[in-house]
Amino acid sequence: MRRAGVWAVLALPAVLIGLGNAPSLAGQPPDDDCLVCHSDPDLKSGQGLPRYVDGAGFSASVHGAAGISCVDCHADLAGFSDFPHAETLRPVACASCHDAAAVAIGASAHGRPHDGPMPFAVHCKDCHGTHEILSHEDGASRTFALNIPDTCTSCHLDRVRTTRGPGFVGLYLESVHFRALSKAGLSLAATCVSCHGGHDVRPVDDPGSRVARPAIIATCGGCHAGIERDYLEGVHGKAYVKGAMEVPVCTDCHTEHDIRSPSDLGSVVYATKVAAVCARCHDDEGLARQYGLLTSRLKTYASSFHGMASKSGETRVANCSSCHGHHDIRPSTDPRSSINAANMAATCGVCHPGAGANFSKGRIHVVSERTENRWAYTVKLVYLVVIGGLISVFLAFIAADLYRRLRARWTR
Amino acid sequence: MDALTGRGLIRDDEVFLRMNRVERIQHILLIVSFTLLVVTGLPLLFYELRLFNAVFSYGRVFYIRGVVHRAAAVLLIVDIFWHFGTTILTARGRENFRELIPRPKDALDAIALFGYNVGISGWLYRKGVLRRFFDRHPFWKFEHPPEYGRYNFIEKLEYLAVAWGSLVMIASGFFMWKVELSLRLFPLWLHDIFVIVHGYEAMLAFLAIIIWHMYNVHLNPEVFPMSRIWLDGKITGHQLKTLHALEYRKIEDERRRALEASAAAAGPDPAAPYQL
Repeated sequence: MRRAGVWAVLALPAVLIGLGNAPSLAGQPPDDDCLVCHSDPDLKSGQGLPRYVDGAGFSASVHGAAGISCVDCHADLAGFSDFPHAETLRPVACASCHDAAAVAIGASAHGRPHDGPMPFAVHCKDCHGTHEILSHEDGASRTFALNIPDTCTSCHLDRVRTTRGPGFVGLYLESVHFRALSKAGLSLAATCVSCHGGHDVRPVDDPGSRVARPAIIATCGGCHAGIERDYLEGVHGKAYVKGAMEVPVCTDCHTEHDIRSPSDLGSVVYATKVAAVCARCHDDEGLARQYGLLTSRLKTYASSFHGMASKSGETRVANCSSCHGHHDIRPSTDPRSSINAANMAATCGVCHPGAGANFSKGRIHVVSERTENRWAYTVKLVYLVVIGGLISVFLAFIAADLYRRLRARWTR
Repeated sequence: MDALTGRGLIRDDEVFLRMNRVERIQHILLIVSFTLLVVTGLPLLFYELRLFNAVFSYGRVFYIRGVVHRAAAVLLIVDIFWHFGTTILTARGRENFRELIPRPKDALDAIALFGYNVGISGWLYRKGVLRRFFDRHPFWKFEHPPEYGRYNFIEKLEYLAVAWGSLVMIASGFFMWKVELSLRLFPLWLHDIFVIVHGYEAMLAFLAIIIWHMYNVHLNPEVFPMSRIWLDGKITGHQLKTLHALEYRKIEDERRRALEASAAAAGPDPAAPYQL
């Protein structure tokens, strides 16, 4: 009733059919006739399956409210009058009204029997329910945003395994999206269908999937529009637009289901864990050759005080994104880059106020002192010689001293 | 007769003061600060070791490590300034400092001690090899161990190493502590050198203490298990005679002169307590 306007439009074909097959016109059995038997809670089929229909629930459903009768869906009973009817009826064909959804489903992961040892076809009722289907805007509906995770996980938590292995879908329940949904009650927070789509859900390796690489930026950007814009302006986004397959998209850094706030200790982009995420590509020799990247980024970071402190759990020291930014990372040659020589004073100055332009007079990620800081190389060399020499002399003196004492003992 | 030759002027069990109380406290402060600095600093050179990762990742250990390191550094600086003060302002301090100045004899002492310990020259001499060379330059025969004054070349080297090391560590450490100031004054590449120097100098100091100082004052059979001078500051006449022969003879000479002077003046008993 509340949304009768909307549903009048959506259900128009059904209503027309319902009116066209009005009992008074075609002699069809009215719903009350069906409920004579089916309102009995103990009614069972020959196989013992419950055949009870909640008449009041149906009346409150979108279909009931739209005036659709039993035989509009259970169409093989239209015009039937010799009750009781046969045990097995033809499956309900939702597509007779919902043709657009049926087409989408047909092309989706749910539209074809799943591969594997237990082929499993998904029907409309598996997600939407049967007689008591409610609008997805109704808080009690199985397709209402807050209920979507329950609906999908009823199969996908463990019954249906994805290629990513058990528990992969369940990681969503740890995510910031689910937390927003379940704890904060934000119905706008991302649910399964926000990213995967509803009827047109496709496997990630399907190029038409909303979560496949070509679409993932737009999918996340559907809500995170500002981040999408930043990303596309950055070095990663520019390569993504050109079709570079190895360039990181949202899910490469943030993971797919287990997306958490960067302030969450369990997040892969938590301050002390960012370096490991970036290093997956930026310490990779193959990618470095292919894209002309500088290597040993993690190694050089780890040997710095920032890296050591970060590894020890200090969140206040600089990690990769403290200096390079995150979504709109730019190469140092870009004047707008946070690590452009002209911007180093400001970037480093966030933590080291007043240090000024001297930050740009030297290298941060020094791979080889020999070529990048000759004086440092010389100092290291001198120290190694001095340490090696002095310790050798010390040991020689100690050995000589012990030797004399032993000799004195032998000759005595 | 004894008075004239000097024999008997110093009894073997006579106690001399080698380190006074202030010096012993300064040494203990040095031990405390150095140990704290090594424990909280050196692991950073071995940041890849899983042991240190595990320890440092526990709670706020890494942060506390930094605080303790800087606190120990302040303690070291205070200790050094105190030592500066006593060295400049007291007669004993100035005298000690004069005795600590390295001289050519120290280099010769080092060679002589090594040669004496190895004993190869004596062996060659006995075999008749290079006999004329050894007769003309008896130093190279290394027949006797060198005789030292108040401080031998080992002790001088250690003292100067501490002085140099502290200077380098305090200077580089100060600029690592005050990164902003350092980078206001110096380019990044120079600041990087401070960091490198701090690490390598620390390694050098640690190895020198662990190997050289620990052998000389602990493991050396002469003093094993430990020289107690750093605790009570006392050294006996016998130890003085064997370890610091020149100092021993100097005291003898002074006493003899005093004895002769008093004998000449028929003054009072000269065997007054003597403090080194």
